[in-house]
Amino acid sequence: GYNTSAVSTPEEEIQDKVHFIFNNLSNSNLEDKAEELSQCLEADYLEWFSQYLVIRRACVEQNFQELYVAFLEKLQRFWNRVFQLVLSKSYEYVNVLLSYEKIRFSTSDRTLLKNMGSWIGILTLARNKPILAKDLDLKYILLDAYSRGRLIAAIPFTAKVLDSCKKSKIFRPPNPWLMAILSLLKELYNLPDLKLNLKFEVEVLCKNISVDLREVHASELLKDRPSPSRD
Amino acid sequence: LMDELTLKGVTQYYAYVEENKKVACLNAIFSKLQINQSIIFCNSVNRVKLLAKKITELGYSCFYVHARMAQEDRNRVFHDFRNGACRNLVCSDLFTRGIDIQAVNVVINFDFPKNSETYLHRVGRSGRFGHRGLAISMITHDDRLNLYKIEQELATEIAPFPAHVDKSLYCE
Repeated sequence: GYNTSAVSTPEEEIQDKVHFIFNNLSNSNLEDKAEELSQCLEADYLEWFSQYLVIRRACVEQNFQELYVAFLEKLQRFWNRVFQLVLSKSYEYVNVLLSYEKIRFSTSDRTLLKNMGSWIGILTLARNKPILAKDLDLKYILLDAYSRGRLIAAIPFTAKVLDSCKKSKIFRPPNPWLMAILSLLKELYNLPDLKLNLKFEVEVLCKNISVDLREVHASELLKDRPSPSRD
Repeated sequence: LMDELTLKGVTQYYAYVEENKKVACLNAIFSKLQINQSIIFCNSVNRVKLLAKKITELGYSCFYVHARMAQEDRNRVFHDFRNGACRNLVCSDLFTRGIDIQAVNVVINFDFPKNSETYLHRVGRSGRFGHRGLAISMITHDDRLNLYKIEQELATEIAPFPAHVDKSLYCE
Protein backbone atom coordinates (compact mmCIF):
# COMPACT_ATOMS: atom_id res chain seq x y z
CA GLY A 1 0.00 0.00 0.00
CA TYR A 2 0.95 3.61 -0.45
CA ASN A 3 1.14 6.02 2.44
CA THR A 4 2.30 9.56 2.27
CA SER A 5 3.64 11.53 5.18
CA ALA A 6 1.36 11.51 8.19
CA VAL A 7 -1.64 13.76 7.64
CA SER A 8 -4.22 14.53 10.28
CA THR A 9 -7.20 12.27 9.76
CA PRO A 10 -10.74 13.26 10.71
CA GLU A 11 -12.77 11.05 13.00
CA GLU A 12 -14.59 8.10 11.51
CA GLU A 13 -17.98 9.77 11.46
CA ILE A 14 -16.61 12.55 9.27
CA GLN A 15 -14.84 10.09 7.01
CA ASP A 16 -18.12 8.21 6.58
CA LYS A 17 -19.83 11.40 5.48
CA VAL A 18 -17.13 12.06 2.93
CA HIS A 19 -17.43 8.51 1.59
CA PHE A 20 -21.18 8.93 1.32
CA ILE A 21 -20.79 12.21 -0.55
CA PHE A 22 -18.41 10.65 -3.08
CA ASN A 23 -20.58 7.58 -3.52
CA ASN A 24 -23.47 9.83 -4.45
CA LEU A 25 -21.84 12.65 -6.35
CA SER A 26 -23.25 13.41 -9.79
CA ASN A 27 -23.38 16.30 -12.23
CA SER A 28 -26.82 17.27 -11.04
CA ASN A 29 -25.96 17.66 -7.34
CA LEU A 30 -22.44 19.14 -7.37
CA GLU A 31 -23.52 22.38 -5.75
CA ASP A 32 -25.40 20.70 -2.87
CA LYS A 33 -22.66 18.18 -2.22
CA ALA A 34 -19.97 20.89 -2.22
CA GLU A 35 -21.98 22.81 0.36
CA GLU A 36 -22.46 19.65 2.42
CA LEU A 37 -18.79 18.76 2.32
CA SER A 38 -17.68 22.25 3.27
CA GLN A 39 -19.90 22.03 6.33
CA CYS A 40 -18.71 18.66 7.57
CA LEU A 41 -14.99 18.97 6.91
CA GLU A 42 -12.72 21.40 8.73
CA ALA A 43 -9.91 23.05 6.81
CA ASP A 44 -7.37 21.12 8.92
CA TYR A 45 -8.37 17.98 7.09
CA LEU A 46 -7.96 19.29 3.56
CA GLU A 47 -4.76 17.38 3.09
CA TRP A 48 -6.42 14.14 4.13
CA PHE A 49 -9.27 14.97 1.78
CA SER A 50 -6.93 15.59 -1.14
CA GLN A 51 -5.18 12.32 -0.54
CA TYR A 52 -8.49 10.47 -0.40
CA LEU A 53 -9.71 12.07 -3.60
CA VAL A 54 -6.52 11.32 -5.52
CA ILE A 55 -5.68 7.84 -4.29
CA ARG A 56 -9.06 6.34 -3.56
CA ARG A 57 -11.23 8.01 -6.15
CA ALA A 58 -9.62 9.76 -9.12
CA CYS A 59 -7.00 7.09 -9.56
CA VAL A 60 -9.47 4.20 -9.59
CA GLU A 61 -12.66 5.74 -10.96
CA GLN A 62 -11.40 6.97 -14.29
CA ASN A 63 -14.98 7.28 -15.53
CA PHE A 64 -15.71 10.04 -12.99
CA GLN A 65 -12.53 12.09 -13.27
CA GLU A 66 -14.22 14.97 -15.06
CA LEU A 67 -16.97 14.96 -12.47
CA TYR A 68 -14.41 15.19 -9.67
CA VAL A 69 -12.65 18.12 -11.33
CA ALA A 70 -16.01 19.89 -11.67
CA PHE A 71 -16.53 19.17 -7.97
CA LEU A 72 -13.16 20.71 -7.11
CA GLU A 73 -14.16 23.81 -9.02
CA LYS A 74 -17.17 24.14 -6.74
CA LEU A 75 -15.07 23.49 -3.65
CA GLN A 76 -12.68 26.30 -4.48
CA ARG A 77 -15.26 28.73 -3.23
CA PHE A 78 -14.84 27.30 0.28
CA TRP A 79 -11.15 26.38 0.21
CA ASN A 80 -9.15 28.32 -2.31
CA ARG A 81 -6.07 26.11 -1.92
CA VAL A 82 -7.88 22.85 -2.57
CA PHE A 83 -6.93 22.62 -6.26
CA GLN A 84 -3.27 23.20 -5.54
CA LEU A 85 -3.30 20.62 -2.77
CA VAL A 86 -4.94 17.99 -4.94
CA LEU A 87 -2.53 18.70 -7.75
CA SER A 88 0.54 18.35 -5.57
CA LYS A 89 -0.83 15.10 -4.08
CA SER A 90 -1.34 13.86 -7.63
CA TYR A 91 2.24 14.62 -8.65
CA GLU A 92 3.48 13.02 -5.46
CA TYR A 93 1.53 9.85 -6.18
CA VAL A 94 2.70 9.68 -9.79
CA ASN A 95 6.29 9.85 -8.62
CA VAL A 96 5.65 7.03 -6.19
CA LEU A 97 4.08 4.86 -8.90
CA LEU A 98 6.85 5.63 -11.39
CA SER A 99 9.48 4.61 -8.89
CA TYR A 100 7.87 1.25 -8.08
CA GLU A 101 10.26 -1.50 -9.00
CA LYS A 102 7.35 -3.75 -9.98
CA ILE A 103 5.74 -1.25 -12.37
CA ARG A 104 7.29 -3.19 -15.26
CA PHE A 105 5.48 -6.37 -14.33
CA SER A 106 2.29 -5.26 -12.64
CA THR A 107 -0.58 -4.53 -15.02
CA SER A 108 -2.76 -3.18 -12.21
CA ASP A 109 -0.12 -0.67 -11.11
CA ARG A 110 0.28 0.45 -14.70
CA THR A 111 -3.48 0.92 -14.95
CA LEU A 112 -3.32 3.15 -11.87
CA LEU A 113 -0.50 5.11 -13.45
CA LYS A 114 -2.45 5.54 -16.69
CA ASN A 115 -5.47 6.71 -14.72
CA MET A 116 -3.25 9.21 -12.93
CA GLY A 117 -2.06 10.40 -16.33
CA SER A 118 -5.52 11.19 -17.59
CA TRP A 119 -6.41 12.72 -14.20
CA ILE A 120 -3.43 15.10 -14.31
CA GLY A 121 -4.24 16.04 -17.90
CA ILE A 122 -7.82 16.87 -16.96
CA LEU A 123 -6.70 18.83 -13.89
CA THR A 124 -4.20 20.92 -15.84
CA LEU A 125 -4.04 20.96 -19.64
CA ALA A 126 -7.79 20.61 -20.20
CA ARG A 127 -8.23 23.66 -17.94
CA ASN A 128 -5.48 25.57 -19.76
CA LYS A 129 -3.08 25.26 -16.84
CA PRO A 130 0.54 24.27 -17.49
CA ILE A 131 2.33 21.22 -16.15
CA LEU A 132 5.50 22.74 -14.78
CA ALA A 133 8.74 20.85 -15.30
CA LYS A 134 9.53 21.17 -11.61
CA ASP A 135 6.35 19.24 -10.83
CA LEU A 136 6.31 16.72 -13.64
CA ASP A 137 8.92 16.68 -16.37
CA LEU A 138 7.46 14.43 -19.06
CA LYS A 139 10.51 14.57 -21.30
CA TYR A 140 12.77 13.61 -18.47
CA ILE A 141 10.39 10.81 -17.44
CA LEU A 142 10.51 9.35 -20.96
CA LEU A 143 14.29 9.64 -21.28
CA ASP A 144 14.82 8.13 -17.87
CA ALA A 145 12.37 5.33 -18.64
CA TYR A 146 14.25 4.61 -21.87
CA SER A 147 17.51 4.15 -20.01
CA ARG A 148 15.94 2.07 -17.27
CA GLY A 149 13.79 -0.17 -19.48
CA ARG A 150 10.53 1.27 -18.20
CA LEU A 151 8.95 2.66 -21.36
CA ILE A 152 6.13 0.17 -20.85
CA ALA A 153 4.96 2.39 -17.98
CA ALA A 154 6.12 5.82 -19.14
CA ILE A 155 4.75 5.92 -22.71
CA PRO A 156 1.10 5.05 -21.88
CA PHE A 157 1.23 7.42 -18.92
CA THR A 158 2.55 10.31 -21.06
CA ALA A 159 0.00 9.58 -23.77
CA LYS A 160 -2.85 9.77 -21.24
CA VAL A 161 -1.60 13.09 -19.90
CA LEU A 162 -1.29 14.59 -23.37
CA ASP A 163 -4.70 13.33 -24.43
CA SER A 164 -6.19 16.34 -22.66
CA CYS A 165 -4.43 18.70 -25.08
CA LYS A 166 -7.37 18.19 -27.43
CA LYS A 167 -9.56 20.03 -24.92
CA SER A 168 -7.16 22.90 -24.44
CA LYS A 169 -7.07 26.21 -26.28
CA ILE A 170 -3.48 26.72 -25.22
CA PHE A 171 -1.90 23.30 -25.30
CA ARG A 172 -3.37 21.91 -28.49
CA PRO A 173 -1.02 21.50 -31.47
CA PRO A 174 1.16 23.30 -32.48
CA ASN A 175 1.90 24.34 -28.91
CA PRO A 176 5.73 24.08 -28.61
CA TRP A 177 5.70 22.37 -25.21
CA LEU A 178 3.45 19.67 -26.62
CA MET A 179 5.35 19.37 -29.90
CA ALA A 180 8.67 18.92 -28.11
CA ILE A 181 7.28 15.94 -26.20
CA LEU A 182 5.72 14.56 -29.37
CA SER A 183 9.12 14.78 -31.07
CA LEU A 184 10.61 12.65 -28.36
CA LEU A 185 7.71 10.22 -28.62
CA LYS A 186 8.37 10.02 -32.35
CA GLU A 187 12.03 9.27 -31.73
CA LEU A 188 10.98 6.49 -29.36
CA TYR A 189 8.42 5.34 -31.90
CA ASN A 190 11.22 4.91 -34.44
CA LEU A 191 13.22 2.61 -32.19
CA PRO A 192 13.50 -0.68 -34.05
CA ASP A 193 12.69 -2.81 -31.03
CA LEU A 194 9.89 -0.76 -29.44
CA LYS A 195 6.97 -2.99 -28.55
CA LEU A 196 4.06 -2.81 -30.94
CA ASN A 197 1.52 -1.89 -28.26
CA LEU A 198 3.68 1.10 -27.26
CA LYS A 199 3.86 2.26 -30.87
CA PHE A 200 0.11 1.94 -30.89
CA GLU A 201 -0.18 4.20 -27.82
CA VAL A 202 1.68 6.94 -29.72
CA GLU A 203 -0.48 6.47 -32.82
CA VAL A 204 -3.70 6.66 -30.80
CA LEU A 205 -2.52 9.79 -29.01
CA CYS A 206 -1.75 11.48 -32.33
CA LYS A 207 -5.11 10.51 -33.68
CA ASN A 208 -6.87 11.85 -30.57
CA ILE A 209 -5.16 15.22 -30.74
CA SER A 210 -5.40 15.37 -34.55
CA VAL A 211 -1.71 15.26 -35.32
CA ASP A 212 -0.27 13.45 -38.31
CA LEU A 213 2.51 11.33 -36.83
CA ARG A 214 4.32 11.28 -40.16
CA GLU A 215 4.75 15.02 -39.95
CA VAL A 216 6.20 15.05 -36.46
CA HIS A 217 9.97 15.61 -36.44
CA ALA A 218 11.76 13.03 -34.38
CA SER A 219 14.09 14.52 -31.78
CA GLU A 220 17.68 13.34 -31.34
CA LEU A 221 17.87 13.06 -27.61
CA LEU A 222 18.37 9.35 -27.14
CA LYS A 223 21.94 9.27 -28.36
CA ASP A 224 22.97 11.28 -25.31
CA ARG A 225 21.31 8.78 -22.99
CA PRO A 226 22.72 5.56 -21.65
CA SER A 227 21.21 2.66 -23.63
CA PRO A 228 18.62 0.61 -21.89
CA SER A 229 19.80 -2.18 -19.67
CA ARG A 230 18.90 -5.55 -21.07
CA ASP A 231 17.48 -8.27 -18.90
CA LEU B 1 -29.16 -19.36 -20.18
CA MET B 2 -27.81 -19.77 -16.65
CA ASP B 3 -24.67 -21.29 -18.05
CA GLU B 4 -23.64 -17.99 -19.57
CA LEU B 5 -23.55 -16.19 -16.24
CA THR B 6 -20.72 -16.52 -13.79
CA LEU B 7 -20.14 -15.56 -10.17
CA LYS B 8 -16.40 -15.56 -10.75
CA GLY B 9 -14.78 -12.40 -9.47
CA VAL B 10 -17.85 -11.48 -7.44
CA THR B 11 -17.34 -11.49 -3.69
CA GLN B 12 -20.66 -12.24 -2.03
CA TYR B 13 -21.72 -11.12 1.42
CA TYR B 14 -24.91 -11.08 3.42
CA ALA B 15 -26.01 -8.78 6.22
CA TYR B 16 -28.60 -10.04 8.67
CA VAL B 17 -31.12 -7.23 9.28
CA GLU B 18 -34.68 -6.58 10.36
CA GLU B 19 -36.97 -5.25 7.65
CA ASN B 20 -37.21 -1.81 9.28
CA LYS B 21 -33.41 -1.51 9.53
CA LYS B 22 -32.72 -2.02 5.85
CA VAL B 23 -32.37 1.65 4.97
CA ALA B 24 -30.03 2.16 7.92
CA CYS B 25 -28.03 -0.80 6.65
CA LEU B 26 -27.88 0.75 3.19
CA ASN B 27 -26.63 3.99 4.73
CA ALA B 28 -23.89 2.09 6.51
CA ILE B 29 -22.84 0.42 3.27
CA PHE B 30 -22.71 3.76 1.49
CA SER B 31 -20.66 5.28 4.30
CA LYS B 32 -18.05 2.55 4.36
CA LEU B 33 -17.49 1.29 0.84
CA GLN B 34 -15.92 2.89 -2.18
CA ILE B 35 -18.67 2.61 -4.75
CA ASN B 36 -18.20 3.55 -8.36
CA GLN B 37 -21.76 2.74 -9.44
CA SER B 38 -24.24 0.40 -7.78
CA ILE B 39 -27.43 -1.45 -8.59
CA ILE B 40 -29.93 -2.02 -5.77
CA PHE B 41 -32.55 -4.73 -6.27
CA CYS B 42 -36.02 -4.89 -4.71
CA ASN B 43 -38.59 -7.66 -5.04
CA SER B 44 -41.53 -5.58 -6.27
CA VAL B 45 -42.25 -2.58 -8.44
CA ASN B 46 -43.79 -0.78 -5.51
CA ARG B 47 -40.79 -1.29 -3.29
CA VAL B 48 -38.52 0.01 -6.07
CA LYS B 49 -40.47 3.25 -6.22
CA LEU B 50 -40.69 3.63 -2.45
CA LEU B 51 -37.02 2.95 -1.87
CA ALA B 52 -35.89 5.26 -4.68
CA LYS B 53 -38.00 8.06 -3.25
CA LYS B 54 -36.78 7.45 0.27
CA ILE B 55 -33.08 7.38 -0.50
CA THR B 56 -33.29 10.31 -2.91
CA GLU B 57 -34.58 12.33 0.04
CA LEU B 58 -31.59 11.12 2.02
CA GLY B 59 -29.15 12.55 -0.52
CA TYR B 60 -28.45 9.53 -2.66
CA SER B 61 -27.86 9.97 -6.36
CA CYS B 62 -30.27 7.48 -7.91
CA PHE B 63 -32.56 6.57 -10.77
CA TYR B 64 -35.02 3.74 -10.76
CA VAL B 65 -36.28 1.32 -13.35
CA HIS B 66 -38.80 -1.49 -13.06
CA ALA B 67 -40.62 -4.11 -15.06
CA ARG B 68 -43.82 -2.11 -15.40
CA MET B 69 -42.18 0.82 -17.17
CA ALA B 70 -42.42 1.19 -20.93
CA GLN B 71 -39.42 -0.31 -22.69
CA GLU B 72 -38.56 3.06 -24.16
CA ASP B 73 -38.37 4.68 -20.71
CA ARG B 74 -36.33 1.82 -19.33
CA ASN B 75 -33.86 2.20 -22.16
CA ARG B 76 -33.52 5.90 -21.49
CA VAL B 77 -32.91 5.41 -17.77
CA PHE B 78 -30.47 2.64 -18.42
CA HIS B 79 -28.61 4.64 -21.03
CA ASP B 80 -28.25 7.62 -18.71
CA PHE B 81 -27.14 5.42 -15.85
CA ARG B 82 -24.52 3.80 -18.04
CA ASN B 83 -23.24 7.25 -18.95
CA GLY B 84 -22.81 8.10 -15.29
CA ALA B 85 -25.63 10.66 -15.00
CA CYS B 86 -26.37 9.15 -11.60
CA ARG B 87 -24.46 6.79 -9.35
CA ASN B 88 -27.03 4.23 -8.26
CA LEU B 89 -29.90 2.40 -9.88
CA VAL B 90 -32.80 0.93 -7.92
CA CYS B 91 -34.60 -1.75 -9.87
CA SER B 92 -36.77 -4.83 -9.97
CA ASP B 93 -35.83 -8.00 -11.82
CA LEU B 94 -35.46 -7.20 -15.46
CA PHE B 95 -32.01 -8.31 -16.39
CA THR B 96 -31.75 -11.55 -18.22
CA ARG B 97 -28.08 -11.42 -19.08
CA GLY B 98 -26.42 -10.16 -15.97
CA ILE B 99 -25.01 -6.69 -15.54
CA ASP B 100 -22.49 -5.68 -18.11
CA ILE B 101 -21.74 -2.17 -16.92
CA GLN B 102 -18.07 -2.02 -16.15
CA ALA B 103 -18.40 0.78 -13.59
CA VAL B 104 -20.87 -1.15 -11.41
CA ASN B 105 -18.65 -2.57 -8.68
CA VAL B 106 -21.35 -3.11 -6.05
CA VAL B 107 -24.69 -4.91 -6.37
CA ILE B 108 -27.07 -4.85 -3.42
CA ASN B 109 -30.00 -7.17 -2.84
CA PHE B 110 -32.13 -4.86 -0.73
CA ASP B 111 -34.65 -7.70 -0.87
CA PHE B 112 -33.28 -11.20 -1.13
CA PRO B 113 -34.55 -13.08 -4.19
CA LYS B 114 -36.71 -16.17 -3.86
CA ASN B 115 -34.75 -18.47 -6.13
CA SER B 116 -31.27 -19.09 -7.36
CA GLU B 117 -31.99 -18.19 -10.97
CA THR B 118 -33.04 -14.68 -9.98
CA TYR B 119 -30.02 -14.39 -7.70
CA LEU B 120 -27.70 -15.35 -10.53
CA HIS B 121 -29.34 -12.94 -12.93
CA ARG B 122 -28.87 -10.10 -10.45
CA VAL B 123 -25.39 -10.85 -9.25
CA GLY B 124 -23.79 -12.83 -12.06
CA ARG B 125 -21.66 -11.36 -14.75
CA SER B 126 -21.77 -12.29 -18.37
CA GLY B 127 -18.59 -14.10 -19.03
CA ARG B 128 -15.95 -11.39 -19.15
CA PHE B 129 -12.98 -12.12 -17.00
CA GLY B 130 -11.16 -9.69 -14.79
CA HIS B 131 -14.19 -7.94 -13.45
CA ARG B 132 -14.29 -7.73 -9.73
CA GLY B 133 -17.25 -6.68 -7.68
CA LEU B 134 -19.16 -7.06 -4.47
CA ALA B 135 -22.65 -8.43 -4.01
CA ILE B 136 -24.27 -7.66 -0.68
CA SER B 137 -27.59 -9.27 0.26
CA MET B 138 -29.78 -8.07 3.08
CA ILE B 139 -31.21 -11.09 4.83
CA THR B 140 -34.19 -11.01 7.16
CA HIS B 141 -35.29 -13.83 9.41
CA ASP B 142 -37.65 -15.06 6.70
CA ASP B 143 -34.89 -15.24 4.09
CA ARG B 144 -32.51 -17.41 6.04
CA LEU B 145 -33.59 -20.75 4.51
CA ASN B 146 -33.52 -19.27 1.03
CA LEU B 147 -30.00 -18.06 1.61
CA TYR B 148 -28.91 -21.59 2.42
CA LYS B 149 -30.83 -23.03 -0.52
CA ILE B 150 -29.41 -20.58 -3.06
CA GLU B 151 -25.89 -21.07 -1.80
CA GLN B 152 -26.30 -24.82 -2.26
CA GLU B 153 -27.91 -24.65 -5.66
CA LEU B 154 -25.29 -22.32 -7.08
CA ALA B 155 -22.47 -24.07 -5.26
CA THR B 156 -21.15 -20.76 -4.05
CA GLU B 157 -20.33 -19.08 -0.78
CA ILE B 158 -22.12 -16.08 0.66
CA ALA B 159 -20.17 -14.93 3.70
CA PRO B 160 -21.25 -12.62 6.51
CA PHE B 161 -20.38 -9.00 5.81
CA PRO B 162 -16.99 -8.37 7.41
CA ALA B 163 -15.92 -5.38 9.49
CA HIS B 164 -13.51 -4.43 6.78
CA VAL B 165 -13.73 -5.17 3.06
CA ASP B 166 -10.46 -5.48 1.17
CA LYS B 167 -10.43 -2.86 -1.61
CA SER B 168 -8.73 -5.18 -4.03
CA LEU B 169 -11.93 -7.26 -4.11
CA TYR B 170 -13.96 -4.60 -5.87
CA CYS B 171 -11.91 -1.53 -6.78
CA GLU B 172 -9.74 -2.01 -9.82
